[in-house]
Amino acid sequence: MRTINIITFSVLSIAVFSSCIKSRGNNPGLEYAPDMYDSKGYEPYNQRDSNLINPYGMNMREPVKGTIAQGQMDYFYPYPNTNEGYEAAGTGFQMPADLQDAEGRGKYNYEIYCSPCHGLTGGNDGKVMEKVGKPVWPNYQDAYIKTLPVGKIYHTLTYGKNNMGSHASVLSPLDRWKVIRYVKELSGTGTVASDTSLNQSNEVKR
Amino acid sequence: MRVLHQLQSKFRLAGFVALFAALPSMNAQDAKKGKEIFDANCASCHGIQNRGAGPALKDVHLRRSEEWLLKWIKNNEALRKSGDAQALQVFNDNGGSIMPVFGSLAETDIKSIIAYVKEESAKAPKKAVVPPGGESKSDQTPDSTLYVLLALIGLFLVVFLLLARVKRDLDRLAAAGQGQEEEAPKGNIIQRLLPGPLARMNPVVLTMFAFSIFGILGFVQFYEYGITEVGVQKGYAPDQPINFSHKIHADQYGIDCKYCHSSADKSKSASIPALNTCMNCHKAVQARDKYEGEISPEIKKIYAALDYDPEKPANEAYGKNPRPVRWVRIHNLPDHAYFNHSQHVNVAGLSCQTCHGPVQKMEKVQQWSQLTMGWCINCHRQTGIQVEHNDYYEKLHEKVKADIAKNGDKSKYKDKNGRIVVTAGMNGGLECSKCHY
Repeated sequence: MRTINIITFSVLSIAVFSSCIKSRGNNPGLEYAPDMYDSKGYEPYNQRDSNLINPYGMNMREPVKGTIAQGQMDYFYPYPNTNEGYEAAGTGFQMPADLQDAEGRGKYNYEIYCSPCHGLTGGNDGKVMEKVGKPVWPNYQDAYIKTLPVGKIYHTLTYGKNNMGSHASVLSPLDRWKVIRYVKELSGTGTVASDTSLNQSNEVKR
Repeated sequence: MRVLHQLQSKFRLAGFVALFAALPSMNAQDAKKGKEIFDANCASCHGIQNRGAGPALKDVHLRRSEEWLLKWIKNNEALRKSGDAQALQVFNDNGGSIMPVFGSLAETDIKSIIAYVKEESAKAPKKAVVPPGGESKSDQTPDSTLYVLLALIGLFLVVFLLLARVKRDLDRLAAAGQGQEEEAPKGNIIQRLLPGPLARMNPVVLTMFAFSIFGILGFVQFYEYGITEVGVQKGYAPDQPINFSHKIHADQYGIDCKYCHSSADKSKSASIPALNTCMNCHKAVQARDKYEGEISPEIKKIYAALDYDPEKPANEAYGKNPRPVRWVRIHNLPDHAYFNHSQHVNVAGLSCQTCHGPVQKMEKVQQWSQLTMGWCINCHRQTGIQVEHNDYYEKLHEKVKADIAKNGDKSKYKDKNGRIVVTAGMNGGLECSKCHY
């Protein structure tokens, strides 16, 4: 009987071993030499070892308050998140005169970030809109949007307003302006860029 | 004259009757019309039971006079400027957020709205029927086919051996009964079970033979697992701190992947969205209809992490003590392999699903691809890159065109189907130092 025992033991041990290296559910499976997987340097989402220096063990940190990274001067926005700031931005903040958007980044970003609520053509008919609650204007053809100063739209994109949240973390200032220009095109009051009809796959350069 | 008077009084009576008869239905009509106007103009900021960007309107007709409400809704700005104490109070209580002026609404419209609010206030908070324990536990059925198979094989083996032994014993007994000389069983159990020629072999050789077969099978098994499982996390689907469903967000509501993973086309990592991105919708979307008027427990987790109080005026910032949510990372390339999302999303124009699988159908995300080197290389060998009208590949395109013109031989650039293709591999996508440096 000893032979049977050996056979049974071997079969079972193979089963147990092979089952614990298979990754499924909460089990990430077996990793050979995990120190080759985990970065010693800080990566944005490296999770194996908590960062001991930063709060909450995160590797990423917010920029120090009041500082602006090199080449990102346009992140500086002087108006505070108040009603007065909103009004002041409406009169004082203007779109850069030399704004170029040959690659159609405005349309591209509008379709990603705005269309879930505002719809592809600004009809406020996005699928998410039913859940969030319609704004008081029916679509971008409404006089309210047609006459809305670009500075106010920028302010809203940056800080959010009413049900709309801040999109400052996902759109760079330049992208915000391109989106605003596209919004103005949709409402029929902006300059229609001549070369935004390029193929989607070509709009690659920023 | 008398007839006329009679007629008049009759008419008056009829009028009275008609008025009384019409009164309840007129009220209902008012509320119904009020709902329409309310949904179109007010509902984006005000709820009846719960606050949105503006305060909840339950019992507002008890708190304020109708006259005041008319003035406020028509032109709250003018009312505030006139120094009305109540108006200023409302303005300050709601974090100074400005309500639009509704000059276009007629007085009757506003009365309809008030009638609707009155009607809704009288109703109890909506209780949706949720069966107790209806929340589906993440029933993770482990992949148990392997266990079952092996257990069955083991069981059959044992049964087979036992039966073989019983048969042999019975045969022996039968032989003894017939007076034949009993042969004593020789060798170990494997020998006894094996048919003639094998059983006559040297027991040591036989045992070694059996073990080597067993060893080869075991090795194949180990090798298979080693190559497809060790360090390969395909199928890894951990529990996340928030039960976020990609199916609801990406499929049902059709939100683009890049809305949340916004840096996928800009940088190396595709970025886990900041909680601020969640709040872009979830400040207003609280799924109360599914949880008996309560905020969904999963959405509450976002609020808890942000230290955000949903009952406070919505224009106020998040709380003083926000904490990040500790999501569990699923896709992880080794440190010695460089991968850049923007290169693949922006330059190559791949869709996210090419590597991540149909995430928009996943209730819980799991790793879809192997993410092994062979898997990368295969794709680099087979996938053509778009060189035309792509600034990134203009030089390469020129090079290929020049090469074809010089040699007159296109076969190098043809794939199986005879199409002319420049693969990522031809552009150096197979060189070691492109990814390992």
